[in-house]
Amino acid sequence: MAEYQNLFTSVQPVGPLHHGVDLPRGDDKRTGEPFLVHLFGRIGNAQIGPVYLGSLGVASLIFGIAAFNIIGFNMLASVDWNPIQLLRQLFWLALEPPPPSYGLSIPPLAQGGWWLVVGFLLTISIMLWWVRTYRRARQLGLGTHVAWAFAAAIWLYLVCGFFRPIMMGSWSEAVPFGIFPHLDWVSAISLRYGNLFYNPFHALSIVFLYGSVLLFAMHGATILAVGRYGGEREIEQIVDRGTASERAALFWRWTMGFNATMESIHRWAWWFAVLCPLVGGVGILLTGTVVDNWYLWSVKHHVVPAYPLGSPIVVDPAILGVKP
Amino acid sequence: MKMIFKTALCLMAAVMLAGCERPPIETVQTGFRGTGMEQIYNPRTLAKQASLNAAPAAADAADADGPKAKDVYKNVQVLGDLSVGQFNRHMASITQWVAPEAGCAYCHNVQNFADDDKYTKVVARRMIEMTQKVNQDYKAHVAETGVTCYTCHRGNNIPTQVWTAPKDRLYANSLLGDLAGQNIATKAAGLTSLPFDPFTPYLKDAQPIRVNSDTAMTGAGAHANRASTKQAEHTYSLMVHMSESLGVNCTYCHNTRNFASWEESRPQRVTAWHGIRMARDLNNDYMTPLTDKFPANRLGPKGDVAKVNCSTCHQGAYKPLYGAQMAKDFPELQALAKP
Amino acid sequence: MSMLSFERKYRVRGGTIFGGDLFDFWVGPFYVGFFGITTLFFVLTGTTMILWGAAMGPTWNVWQINIAPPDISYGLRFAPMMEGGLWQLITVCAIGSFVSWALREVEICRKLGMGLHVPVAFSMAILAYVSLQVIRPVLMGAWGHAFPYGIYSHLDWVSNTAYQYLHFHYNPWHMIAASLFFATTLALSMHGGLVLSATNPGKGEVVKTPEHEDTFFRDLIGYSVGTLGIHRLGLFLALAAVWFGIVCIVVSGPFWTGAWPEWWGWWLNMPIWRT
Repeated sequence: MAEYQNLFTSVQPVGPLHHGVDLPRGDDKRTGEPFLVHLFGRIGNAQIGPVYLGSLGVASLIFGIAAFNIIGFNMLASVDWNPIQLLRQLFWLALEPPPPSYGLSIPPLAQGGWWLVVGFLLTISIMLWWVRTYRRARQLGLGTHVAWAFAAAIWLYLVCGFFRPIMMGSWSEAVPFGIFPHLDWVSAISLRYGNLFYNPFHALSIVFLYGSVLLFAMHGATILAVGRYGGEREIEQIVDRGTASERAALFWRWTMGFNATMESIHRWAWWFAVLCPLVGGVGILLTGTVVDNWYLWSVKHHVVPAYPLGSPIVVDPAILGVKP
Repeated sequence: MKMIFKTALCLMAAVMLAGCERPPIETVQTGFRGTGMEQIYNPRTLAKQASLNAAPAAADAADADGPKAKDVYKNVQVLGDLSVGQFNRHMASITQWVAPEAGCAYCHNVQNFADDDKYTKVVARRMIEMTQKVNQDYKAHVAETGVTCYTCHRGNNIPTQVWTAPKDRLYANSLLGDLAGQNIATKAAGLTSLPFDPFTPYLKDAQPIRVNSDTAMTGAGAHANRASTKQAEHTYSLMVHMSESLGVNCTYCHNTRNFASWEESRPQRVTAWHGIRMARDLNNDYMTPLTDKFPANRLGPKGDVAKVNCSTCHQGAYKPLYGAQMAKDFPELQALAKP
Repeated sequence: MSMLSFERKYRVRGGTIFGGDLFDFWVGPFYVGFFGITTLFFVLTGTTMILWGAAMGPTWNVWQINIAPPDISYGLRFAPMMEGGLWQLITVCAIGSFVSWALREVEICRKLGMGLHVPVAFSMAILAYVSLQVIRPVLMGAWGHAFPYGIYSHLDWVSNTAYQYLHFHYNPWHMIAASLFFATTLALSMHGGLVLSATNPGKGEVVKTPEHEDTFFRDLIGYSVGTLGIHRLGLFLALAAVWFGIVCIVVSGPFWTGAWPEWWGWWLNMPIWRT
């Protein structure tokens, strides 16, 4: 008979739904009657809701929805208000920041002004949401680790959309709101600044990105592998180490010579995930402000490999004074 | 309901996968091993392309003896030093290259061939000079292969690959939805969201294409590189056009780890550099001055004349007509007449 | 000894796939096993060859060392040592050591009475390596299409390979993979943060419960996937990210030779809305 692999829950016991740990006085009541979705229950919890709609959350949603709508209507307008073309070209459409000629001044609405409005509204929305993640944790008596992780992501968002454009003296350096257009921005900034692969902060950020994927695969797999010993009960295992944590630790110790604990693996996880946008943001902030060509910077620091060149060596026709 | 959903899903998958190609494919290494500088070709696509880009056979050479065309015919302003036989051969060839259906009447008043009434004759005359200019002064780009009218026209009255300034969208002056010259799906931008008119700034005007610094650290004041990230998108768009026009990728000319370096680039990049200058030259000295000769239906939505870009001649081939040497059979197209 | 306080009782015999009791022992904290021996062999051989390749090269600068695959002209044949043959042998050793490592992990899982999720997950990463260095080159007809062994040189390969398709970001499988990479990192930060917030609740607070964890995310976004679910979700996101990464590169070349932006033509040109 095939062995259960702890990937999908086969039997879902259904009991009274949980309305949440009691909140302190001063908080609002939660919204919504929780209900179950059986399909979700095959992977994780089946319960949807209740949600806490506090003033911070509602305000954040209002600003966020406003920003979303301004982006959407500008996209619709850019295809001459044709909803079919909106759907057809959705990935190509954008709300574009002001052109370079405006520097940091406020441009007309039609020429980047809307982008500034959206940037402002979206940033307020995100900040309000951040305060919400902080407050919800505090109200439940939890640490604020999730909020501080979120802060790292906000750092990168602000670097790309606010700090760096200001340091460069031009809103046009910021990222457009749009699927393909924001990818064009990624290519363009690498093209302009001499290949971002040679930016050591970029490289380190990628290390943490791939490392995070590696770590979650490792950690997720490990916990599932000791599911039969209650490995997913991580809080209990941290406070009172059981055989799940012991086997999990020994697996890695015997494999690679060292191991984490049930608590410390979550520190590895938090730091790897947080360092990706943190370090990446530093790398972007330095681009164009301090370093103008990362390839040449890397040559200066003796890390660029050499390949045999073609023969004869190609020469810039412009400097030859070639008259076409 | 579930059946419709499943069928729709299958159809979608089929449509998506129909766009896919299959092995075997051909590759050509263009750099040091392991650098990833390669050209990739689908041999089936290439075979089809080759058949669509073949050069027509040249007419047998005519006798150079006898009176000159300018002495026999009236109002011969170019090619006058050819013999009548050579001149007529050239006219027959032009007809095959540019107006095989309409015949001589496309340019000429057939009651009076000397008449300049039709705009097509005036334009064609200037274009003969343009062809001679390319073959004489732009050997750095066309080498000894050269071009003829067919290179662009391919049997069409108007070459299929020309460009005009793009039209504004319907509500261009509204408060919302400024395209900023990009962010829609266009063929001109190779289906990217990059700027959809890289031709006006770079193949008509002489805006700087280069954006990279030649110093590692950011310069200050007079030494600062003022090129913006946005400007790099415009350059990128031009480069996408160039690549698509030639059916090649970026590594055909560049080692992308350092686009700017000429040392690490291939000789083809120098050829391309000359090609850009040639396109500007042709657009500014030949095409644009002809604007008022064309009727309104031949002009672009903004009233500008059709102009050349890389795909006008190349049409998806790394060398037009895959390097077929047409010009050698038409020495009269190799040089501008002496003044 | 290098044993943890609780380790001794777990050091039992058994779980081996191959070799029985012969290699069933530990060296320090490391479990050996038959596949520990094969790992050692492949790692030592491969590393020696890398060092030899570096010695034959122009530099010992660790950032600049480069051991390149053969020219494409060698096709799928074995190339001379100094012309890419060394690269080929190193690749064989790499695959040997990765597979040995995975099988050793299987032995360790069996010994510890654990599920095999970790070696299965690792196999996805091995598949990624094999796809890049074997499957795709074979489909394209030459070992020369694989990436070189060098810290910066392998990035040059990535750059040039991507630009072969003019704008690799438009590769739809790459878009999915990149989204999944970032989603995995997001989920990891949330999971790490949540567990730490419950067990390190700050001054004056007691350690919290899984009900607090669930309540936090339900309050925040209306749903909490739960303690078991997050590990399934995390594993799935991570493996899906790698899977689509594999798909995106194996398709590039063997199943698509043009520019990736052009692929979207099928969507734009659908008869219902083509312009």
